[in-house]
Amino acid sequence: MRFAHLSDIHLGFQKQEKLQKIEQDTFERAVSKCIDCGVDFVLIPGDLFHVNIPEMRVQKFAFAGFRRLYEAKIPVYVVYGSHDFSPVSNSVIDLLAEIGYITKVTHATSNDNGTISLDFLTDAKTGVKITGLTGLKVGRDRDWYEVLDRQSLESEPGFKIFLFHGGIADMKNNKIMDGDHMPISFLPKGFSYYAGGHMHVYNYKEFADYPHVVYPGTLFAGHAADLEENAKGCSRGLVLVDFEEKVNKVEFVPMDNSLYGIIEIDANNCKSESVNMELQKEIDRIDPAEKIVIVKIRGELMSGKTSDVDITLASESLSKSGAISVNISKNQLTSREYTITDAKGKNKDEIETNMLKENIGQLRNLSQKILVGDQGISLAKQLFHVLGQNQLDNEKKEEYSKRITDGALAMLGVKMDDS
Amino acid sequence: MGEIMTVGQVVGGKFGDIVIRQKSGTNIEIGDLIVSEENGSYLILQVFALEYGSQIQDRMQQMMSGVNLEQGVADAQFYEPDFVNYVLARIKPLARIYREDGDVKIPKSLPSFFNKLRLISHDDLKFLQKEDDQIFVGHIRSGSKVIKEAEVWLPAQDVFSHHVLIPATTGRGKSNLIKTVLWHALNTNKVGALVLDAHDEYFGRTAVGLKDHPNARDNLVYYTPTSPPPGANTLTINLQAIKPHHFDGIVDLSDAQSQAIRTAFRNHRHEWIANLMLTDVATMDMTGQRDSTTSTMMVIQRKLRLILDLERDEDGHIFSRHAVFDSTTSGLGTVDDIVRHIEQGKIVVLDTSRLGGEAELLVGNIIATKLLDNYKKAKATGELNGLPVATIVIEEAPRVIGEDILASKNDNIYSTIAKEGRKFKLGLTAITQLSSVIPKTILANMNTKIILGNEMKQEREAIIASASQDLSEDDKNIASLDKGEAIITSIFVPFAMPIKIPLFEDIVKNQKDSARPEKIKVF
Repeated sequence: MRFAHLSDIHLGFQKQEKLQKIEQDTFERAVSKCIDCGVDFVLIPGDLFHVNIPEMRVQKFAFAGFRRLYEAKIPVYVVYGSHDFSPVSNSVIDLLAEIGYITKVTHATSNDNGTISLDFLTDAKTGVKITGLTGLKVGRDRDWYEVLDRQSLESEPGFKIFLFHGGIADMKNNKIMDGDHMPISFLPKGFSYYAGGHMHVYNYKEFADYPHVVYPGTLFAGHAADLEENAKGCSRGLVLVDFEEKVNKVEFVPMDNSLYGIIEIDANNCKSESVNMELQKEIDRIDPAEKIVIVKIRGELMSGKTSDVDITLASESLSKSGAISVNISKNQLTSREYTITDAKGKNKDEIETNMLKENIGQLRNLSQKILVGDQGISLAKQLFHVLGQNQLDNEKKEEYSKRITDGALAMLGVKMDDS
Repeated sequence: MGEIMTVGQVVGGKFGDIVIRQKSGTNIEIGDLIVSEENGSYLILQVFALEYGSQIQDRMQQMMSGVNLEQGVADAQFYEPDFVNYVLARIKPLARIYREDGDVKIPKSLPSFFNKLRLISHDDLKFLQKEDDQIFVGHIRSGSKVIKEAEVWLPAQDVFSHHVLIPATTGRGKSNLIKTVLWHALNTNKVGALVLDAHDEYFGRTAVGLKDHPNARDNLVYYTPTSPPPGANTLTINLQAIKPHHFDGIVDLSDAQSQAIRTAFRNHRHEWIANLMLTDVATMDMTGQRDSTTSTMMVIQRKLRLILDLERDEDGHIFSRHAVFDSTTSGLGTVDDIVRHIEQGKIVVLDTSRLGGEAELLVGNIIATKLLDNYKKAKATGELNGLPVATIVIEEAPRVIGEDILASKNDNIYSTIAKEGRKFKLGLTAITQLSSVIPKTILANMNTKIILGNEMKQEREAIIASASQDLSEDDKNIASLDKGEAIITSIFVPFAMPIKIPLFEDIVKNQKDSARPEKIKVF
């Protein structure tokens, strides 16, 4: 017997058309793979969709994919992830469940003593018992794990699978994996297989009380950093599990999604002009045709502003050379010439004022006096006020956007068409 | 307690050693706190010695005793015995409290001669007001009488950054005190702590413990090597986290051995321990230096094997039998996670009960080094104010800050923190039976001492000599401290305070929330 385990597909995440196509193609190939490999069922522990109700285009191809599995008589068992979760069952997941293409496995009972009991559902063909818990943002599902009736789960006989969506601290395999991870001790012990979601890179570990804890990782990309990982050679795919009375084999099946190119610039102690030259040199060096190109610039410039590093030119140049997509990140680029110094104060207003006072001196080269000194501080605070206004009740998004923009421009004394 | 009743009268003595006559029918004890009402203020004094006084000469008393004992005269008594024979108490002034503003000053004058004195009441201790972010340590104790209304709270930020010393012998209530202090630290996120729990007794795995605190879910983190209870973390530290300098001052290494491990680190970086342990020393080609290098390597391998409890499986993987150290991919983020928790003002309890002494210190060293680095960086970037004060709770402190250790080995992180941690809001909470072997310079830097009972004179002398208040007359007082009784001497309290630490179990019992659990909705 065999099942497939996918997770964190994040359908609907991509915004660029070419990347959307890759996202769709990867999903469809994964569905085909499951059918071709003759799996008895498919597990998806969360974040199947990037949001609970993605755009119609995404719903359309998702429904088509799950219909193929349904027609191949392959049940799909899912739990909500932190992205596609809906507390009122207002998610495309629920639509798919309603028409019978997929099955939600979380069937919980809140007991009078404050505990939560989970019911198992049994896969009709294999007799495998399946249960699991929804994943919530910022680890709020911890509340559930803390009061989980473990005894009933752990004493259940047979081949049983637990689906969960959340990071496990004991599964971290590098120091820089950040975020909210829960200890593995929160999971009920003694299940045959733990189908994990949330961690985007394939990870498989065995523990004494938890045999076979597996994260397949994302199929393509569920957040921006995934593309960078892909470019650095991170393998994406799904997991196939062969089992009888126990798990016999856990196999990661890699699935290609695109070609990649990566440019990494260390700007530490460099001038902005040198970084621009280095960037151009690297662009000339690589062949970006039909590739997703990731450009990462990091470090502290010794002179010049971070905005002096011309990423627009780089992006245009790579696109002209045929890149599928260009993703440029300079989040980790700072400048010695201009860094924000923190300041303290008794309240928000005082902190703002002190921070502006601390930092505005760095703008001494500006010719417009209204932007520097006390005038600059006053203007900045007024701008904070204008830009910080909330959307009014019954105000449309466009109206809100226009009101804020007009207010800010009026504050600066410029008109919209001023270049 | 609390009744206004004269217990004695000032009859003589000098500053710091005032003699009072005890009123008949009262019972003054060593350690009792006594009040002398003065003009606009009152003095709090403490009894440090008791002796008999009599208007009859010694020879006459001895003769009276002879009459009673040898001649069998049953009713031989003194005429007006309460008037003739009495108890003299020697007392010392602790504090003068001004009634107008509640200001507490160190007394510089004697109580009025012949003034009548009374036992202290909770009204006299109203200046002990709890303020924000303070840590409860116990109730004021007058002799053996506990004044429950007078609670002693210490300013957490100051106390922990200026180091705490808890000197006591076994069975005097150290664990109870530590649990009480940590329990109150859990109330807020203002104190981060790393607790090396060598007996796995603080979390309360099988009994009541810190896990029963209402904030334990958010503010307590527990690491244990095996079978963690639900919600607890597995204590696994990847060997990559260990650097040669972590052995400094912890493990006795010769210069050659020290050099060899640094060379191994330089050559293999993060994999240095695994590589070193997997090196087949017998086949090493060390032309010219073969004998000495081989023996050095063999000694290092043996030391690492013993300290870290390392073994090698048939696939050539290095693992530790107690499962704390790992050479694969487990535990890579453990140290960073623990440090992050402490920086968030959480109490991190490490169950080190399965580790040997050196391995326990090594684990603490790795974490403390990272913590100190982070706090130093935060100070450099002006972000230190945003971090909570942090303390490292370590038992048998002379293992790392003992005079002989510091003289024979390099400084270790614990001694560094003891010397300079204060600047970075990082302190030690050192527990010891042997204060006398801690260098005076370090003892003097430990600005709060919570002194529990200690029958060893040499230890009492070391504590008294380094106390923040004058305890020169308190030798017998310290010797007679019963279980749970303590004296706090600190630059953050107005005088050396006698306290009674409540039973931890009672604190937990009183705190238990009796509300019915709410039903939780699952989606």
